[in-house]
Amino acid sequence: MITNFKVNSDEIDKIKKISKQEKEFRIKNLNLFNKNGFPNNKIEDWKFSDLRNIVSKNFKKLDVQITNSKNINTTLIKDFDHNSLILINGNLSSSNFDFEEKNKIKIKNFHNDNFSDINKYNPLIHLNHALSDTGYYLEIADNYKFKKTLIIYNIFTKELNENILNSRNKIQIGNNSELHTIDFVVNESKNKFMNNVYENVILKENAIYKNICIQNEKSDGFFHKFSKNTLSSKSKYSSFIFPSGLKFNKLDLEFNLEGERSECNLQAASSLNKNDHQEIKTRINHLVPNCKSYQRVKNVLNSDSKGVYQGKIFVKDIAQKTDAYQLSKALLLNDNSEFNSKPELEIYADDVKCSHGSTSGSIDETSIYYLMSRGLNREESVRLLVSGFLNEIIEMIKSNSIRKFVQKKIEEQIYGN
Amino acid sequence: MLEIKNLKASINNRDIIKGLDITIKPGELHAIMGPNGSGKSTLANVLSGKNGYEISGAIQFKGKNLIEIPVDERAQKGIFLAFQYPTEIPGVNTNNFLKTSLNKVRKARGEKELDTLTFLKIVKEKTAELGIDEKILSRQLNVGFSGGEKKKNEILQMKILDPSFTILDETDSGLDIDALKTIANGVNSSRDKMKSFLVITHYQRLLDYIKPDFVHVLSDGKIVKSGGMELAEELEKTGYKKIK
Repeated sequence: MITNFKVNSDEIDKIKKISKQEKEFRIKNLNLFNKNGFPNNKIEDWKFSDLRNIVSKNFKKLDVQITNSKNINTTLIKDFDHNSLILINGNLSSSNFDFEEKNKIKIKNFHNDNFSDINKYNPLIHLNHALSDTGYYLEIADNYKFKKTLIIYNIFTKELNENILNSRNKIQIGNNSELHTIDFVVNESKNKFMNNVYENVILKENAIYKNICIQNEKSDGFFHKFSKNTLSSKSKYSSFIFPSGLKFNKLDLEFNLEGERSECNLQAASSLNKNDHQEIKTRINHLVPNCKSYQRVKNVLNSDSKGVYQGKIFVKDIAQKTDAYQLSKALLLNDNSEFNSKPELEIYADDVKCSHGSTSGSIDETSIYYLMSRGLNREESVRLLVSGFLNEIIEMIKSNSIRKFVQKKIEEQIYGN
Repeated sequence: MLEIKNLKASINNRDIIKGLDITIKPGELHAIMGPNGSGKSTLANVLSGKNGYEISGAIQFKGKNLIEIPVDERAQKGIFLAFQYPTEIPGVNTNNFLKTSLNKVRKARGEKELDTLTFLKIVKEKTAELGIDEKILSRQLNVGFSGGEKKKNEILQMKILDPSFTILDETDSGLDIDALKTIANGVNSSRDKMKSFLVITHYQRLLDYIKPDFVHVLSDGKIVKSGGMELAEELEKTGYKKIK
């Protein structure tokens, strides 16, 4: 079992073609990580997800290096037409934008050129910034609306076994442009491994970004993603997250509403089982007036699973007329399941509309009785109620074919194929 | 069809039904009237198989003991309860639910399960017959339905599931005259020699549209008087206090 995970600075020497400045940046981050290792529950942001303990319980070792596999056959989704981006163990492998005007799209490997930004709080970001040398950069020109959805296939190969992957991605959407993506995780590894992603999304004025995150199957992945999103004026970001299917998953999402009349809409639905552990942590920064944010997080928790939602709304003093909403609902199906919710409002403006709510409870016996009185057995009734609970989120997806696809994937995860 | 002998039911050590006898033959419609707290809804719940009651006595349905049989199997055997307060179930599409329900009942009856198209044809037919707006079926089950819509939805479910024994638990309460007629039409068009009904109500009003074969007065957990339609008319004039 890993008790004190540290990374040797030799690992940075193995990264090819880096400037002195970049190397210094990486070393600085590595030292920050090595100082304390994986965060434990004494750190406020990790109080419900003791990662140090989780890593030590589940891993004997964590290899930073991986043997990259060749000849991967990717089965593409056939349910609807789409563009694709294929990432293999975080590495940009291929892309296909046949439905689009190619001169409006720039896609390449991610290359970091910002060495000033050292995150203060999150050790996983330090680790990422020290070691990541994979990931993509996607840029959409001004005034271009995507005709079809872009599916980002995140494929993890069967070679992965007690590895830790670090990658960085960046998406920039130009003025008046629109992009819809599905982050689709396909996990071919039957073993445990960690995936640590740093993501940066920038929406220019009036840009629209819609995103869905979903896994293809249940797996033994331990995932952490930090996502930093910047919204310029009148831009709209909406995200549907279906984070279940992993052993451990922490999504740390930061939204900076920097331009007036920008809007951010976050919807999450998940069903956890066995020892699944999942956390969604959000921080919505209302930095200017007249912005809207909406968050709705729903969790179904089965045997011994643990769900966490830490949602923070920050409203700066000048951010008048802010309209911020946050709701978390949990359905506990078992006495051994656990849900922790920590809503936080930090408001410095006086003319705002901010609300939050959090409920958790077991399944409603009156509803079970009603359904059973129509001939459904108890199991079928519970199943219908659970689907109904999650459907309230899924039904918000406008496209019929995508909604059906999501519904199918979630049912597979909950009840098997 | 249904034979109840010396039925007693209590909940949390409180006796509600205190020795009730009633026999309902195929084709008959019985009405039970009674003041608040007399045990009417408890009787409906107990017959449907709701958990949580201490029960003694005998309930025979089509010659078989019903007491040990769970709620869902009772429904599959042809018992239907139209709820006084139908439960709102968010996220569950009414049509999907109804199709699942009908196929469970059909399967238990040894009939073939229906595909979506055939099911929707039946729904179209039954909603038209009852004069119900089909649109409510594409909504979430009972969510945001008006009081009248909820009750109509119960009757529609009854029509679709086609049970042999139906209990209406104060289905007429809180309805306007048009909705009341819809409910009554639903019941009347279902009546035949083989089907039986137990109609629980506070008022004579519904019984003007649904002619009962028998009227019983339930008071303090017992049937204190039985008769025909004239008993309901008498109650409407004198109230429950005079009946002992």
